[in-house]
Amino acid sequence: MKNNNLKTYAKYFTQFIIAVAGLLLIIDFTIYRHAYFHLEEIIGFPAIFGFICFVFIVIVGKHLRKILMRKEDYYDK
Amino acid sequence: MTSSMIPGLWMIIASMLLPVIPNYFRQPAMLLSVFLSSLSLLNGFGTFLTWEILGFNLTLYHSDNLTLPFAIIFHLASLLVIIYGWHNKNLMENMATLAYAGSAIGALHAGDFFSLFIWWEATALTSVFIVLAGNTVSARNSAMRYLIIQVCSGVLLLIGASMMVYQTGNHELTKLDLSSNFGVFIFLAFGIKAAFPFLNGWLQDSYPESSPTGTVALSAFTTKLAIYALARTFPGTETLIWIGAIMTAFPVFFAVIENDLRRVLSFSLNNQLGFMVVGIGIGTELSLNGTVAHAFVHIIYKALLFMSMGAVLHRVGTTKASELGGLYKYMPLTTIFCIIGAMSISAFPLFSGFVAKSLIMSALGGQGLILIYFVLFFASAGVLEHSGIKIPYFAFFAHERKTKVKEAPINMLIAMGVAAFLCIGIGVYPKYLYSILPYSVNYQPYTIDHVISQLQLLVFAILAFLFLVKFKLYPSEIKSTVLNSDWFYRKMLPGIGKPLFQTLQKIIIKFYEVLSILFDLILGRSKKFANLSYIKVTTPGFAGLLMITILFIMLVLAVI
Repeated sequence: MKNNNLKTYAKYFTQFIIAVAGLLLIIDFTIYRHAYFHLEEIIGFPAIFGFICFVFIVIVGKHLRKILMRKEDYYDK
Repeated sequence: MTSSMIPGLWMIIASMLLPVIPNYFRQPAMLLSVFLSSLSLLNGFGTFLTWEILGFNLTLYHSDNLTLPFAIIFHLASLLVIIYGWHNKNLMENMATLAYAGSAIGALHAGDFFSLFIWWEATALTSVFIVLAGNTVSARNSAMRYLIIQVCSGVLLLIGASMMVYQTGNHELTKLDLSSNFGVFIFLAFGIKAAFPFLNGWLQDSYPESSPTGTVALSAFTTKLAIYALARTFPGTETLIWIGAIMTAFPVFFAVIENDLRRVLSFSLNNQLGFMVVGIGIGTELSLNGTVAHAFVHIIYKALLFMSMGAVLHRVGTTKASELGGLYKYMPLTTIFCIIGAMSISAFPLFSGFVAKSLIMSALGGQGLILIYFVLFFASAGVLEHSGIKIPYFAFFAHERKTKVKEAPINMLIAMGVAAFLCIGIGVYPKYLYSILPYSVNYQPYTIDHVISQLQLLVFAILAFLFLVKFKLYPSEIKSTVLNSDWFYRKMLPGIGKPLFQTLQKIIIKFYEVLSILFDLILGRSKKFANLSYIKVTTPGFAGLLMITILFIMLVLAVI
């Protein structure tokens, strides 16, 4: 029972985020965003950029573990 | 009386009086001293106190448009730290915290490099006791490393300042550049405290070792003092743009894999400093305003995040992500405050990070620096990852928790509440923040372009997070140590140095042995000389020899 609590919240949260994301894209189609660089003015650019950056950071971080990760008592030895 | 009293000095005097003040009045006395010191904020701009000594004219109390915003936020941070640590009965830590905050405030008002140096060292010496108050073996070791690095910074500053006086006859805190050799020394001194890439190891090493209250105090002052000093002496130095951009980007990857959440926040602190350094590097009025505004709001939300993690540490006893989770049920208020801090640092519209970061981004855009602009844009997604999502997610959610814990003590909640209120207040009414910035601004952060752009970035990054969690691609937390630039002096140098010195020592011992045989041959039976125990190689003797050799080499180099 208790375990379901967090899962339900997560479900609501996911739905909420998807709704907001959709809404933001719709708004982007209806207005013209002024930006400092043309690249950023492409419809949905910040969205795609944000998504890719996030995935990139996590995946690269994961692989960096191979180089940078040591045991917890590494410096104590 | 207050008018010529150096701001912050009240706090240092109070810290010295703390041992004779009864336990229950210590925190009120600390608050009172901060209040007395803060009266100096009403003094306005100008030079209020100079001291002529040994032919030098020291400007001890100078205030202008760059000092004021930093002085305000330093006083505010002191108040938050004291309220947050109201339950703290550790006398040494209380004294150190108050003196540390006082020294940092004093440093802001120094008008020349020598007075700055004195305060610079004062912040180092006082803050090392805060790290020591972590009261573990690793905290003690970390404190010693911290002290060495901080003193290095001070020594570099002193060398730079002395060379400057020698070469120019001037030691006032003015704009410098990197074409002069003393400029480079001073730049490095500031760079250590501002945690430039590869000079940053001390920050992530020591901050997470301190006590829950100690880390909050540490996070506010040292690095922002360095930012202030850089903004005063090196505005418009192009190198800083690149250094800052690297600073925003690289800690992001470390923060993803770090397990200790307070260390994650230290990486995040490093990344935030990068934004400010970029602002200094651009050097326009808009970008310097951005730097100051960012330092101002950053101190509040970073303190808030450290406070929430401190509350977790206080109640649960650890901030390791692998051992936390599900605290939302037991610490609901801390959870809410932490999320407010997380949203501020991620720069959600209507939160304080947004109104400050926009200034720097606009300055970058205005200068047409497209590469740096997108590096910072990328780093914004990174901030969301480690501070916006990772911190609240692993501490308060992730999975259900079996053992019960209590909500944070009331004083911690009050401090967090005030900080959270300020985060939202500044985000909703940025004009009050803008009115204290060094240059007058006519800037509107809430344009539809800005808001939509930023929201798209953040919301789709959250979507990416949900996507990664859903498909089990998000790395789980593992108990580990993540190597950082402190590895160079914690592992590499001892790794090379120890065998090297041991060989050297062996050679010297061999040399003495040969010498003694020669003596023996020459002096024959004279036991007094043949027994050369008095020139045996001892460790202090060896260290002394090394020091003398290094000094001799330096002397030779100086003569050349």
